[in-house]
Amino acid sequence: MNTLSAIRPVLQNLPQIQFTPKTGNATPVNDFMPVGETFDTTLRKFVGEVNTKQLAAQDVTKQLLGGQNVPLHQAMIAVEEASVSFQLMVEVRNKLMDSYQELMRMQI
Amino acid sequence: MLNCLNGITSTAAALNAERIRMDVIAENIANAHTTRSADGKPYQRQQVVFETVLQNQPGNITGTPVSSVQVARIEADKHPPILVHNPGHPDADAHGMVAMPNVNVHQEMADMLVASRAFEANLAVVRNARSMALQSLSIGKRS
Amino acid sequence: MIEALFNQTNYAATKKVLDAAMLRHEAIAANLANVETPGYKRVDIATSFSSELNQAIAAHEPSRINALRPSLELDSRAVAGTRDGNNISLETELLNLQQNTLTHTVGTQLLSGALLKLRLAITGRSS
Repeated sequence: MNTLSAIRPVLQNLPQIQFTPKTGNATPVNDFMPVGETFDTTLRKFVGEVNTKQLAAQDVTKQLLGGQNVPLHQAMIAVEEASVSFQLMVEVRNKLMDSYQELMRMQI
Repeated sequence: MLNCLNGITSTAAALNAERIRMDVIAENIANAHTTRSADGKPYQRQQVVFETVLQNQPGNITGTPVSSVQVARIEADKHPPILVHNPGHPDADAHGMVAMPNVNVHQEMADMLVASRAFEANLAVVRNARSMALQSLSIGKRS
Repeated sequence: MIEALFNQTNYAATKKVLDAAMLRHEAIAANLANVETPGYKRVDIATSFSSELNQAIAAHEPSRINALRPSLELDSRAVAGTRDGNNISLETELLNLQQNTLTHTVGTQLLSGALLKLRLAITGRSS
């Protein structure tokens, strides 16, 4: 009897404890992927940033060819940074394709 | 066209100005003993006056206005001709004095040295600008 | 993500030093162009730039480094050597020219090294 009366307040409070599911299916482990982002959105953001770099490099090249006052070293640096970013994206893509193909090859 | 060389306008203007100066000095030396020039008087020494001019146009890669140089004018030296006693000279006057040009050849040679030093200094500037541009082009290049 | 790759203190500082070297070359070119002009006063990079850059590097803040803007100002420490008021010394200026060109070379080599290292990290191959 005593144990039942002790448990009763807990049982009455049970409905108020709710399960709050996390949005999406991502748990943040570092700054790279904040809460609410899926792998899809991260990848899109990554490609967008690489594209921004490419556009910046194209802009500065256009200015240089047009004879405007852009320092040569700044143009070269912009082009090289765009190239490195693009290379990073290509390697990430290669790794993704490799892992996909490996998955497909797995025997069930 | 492409602006690859940095500061090229000041340097080009300086090279031009120094070359004009050397031409004027050469003319002075050549006419150091001309007692009768086209206007009948002895040759008058010419001198070059430089002035600073503000540049803000292509060649300044960073867009900052820097000073360039130009020849403001070539004017005659106001000093009177040097009178030399030489009665046998065709241009001697009643007292046997000849009016020689007011050119001191030693001074002209010293000026010539200074002008060519400045000229070579500006050539060094252009050489360095070129080497910096070539270095910039090889940023990130795999050997 | 991509910006973080290039937002390192040393990398940003090297880029800024290269900018300053190009600006300094223009100043030296103007100084040497006017070495014979009466009354011309020497110009150089503002003395505050060096201390500001060092502070930003010590604080490890690439954004602060990127915000710096080197500028030219009259050199207050130059002394006139001739009677016409021109305070350029040909020898000193030529030495500055050589030093500046070497600074630029050091900067480009450091940047190239950083970029090649990134490529090595990305591809696993050195060329």
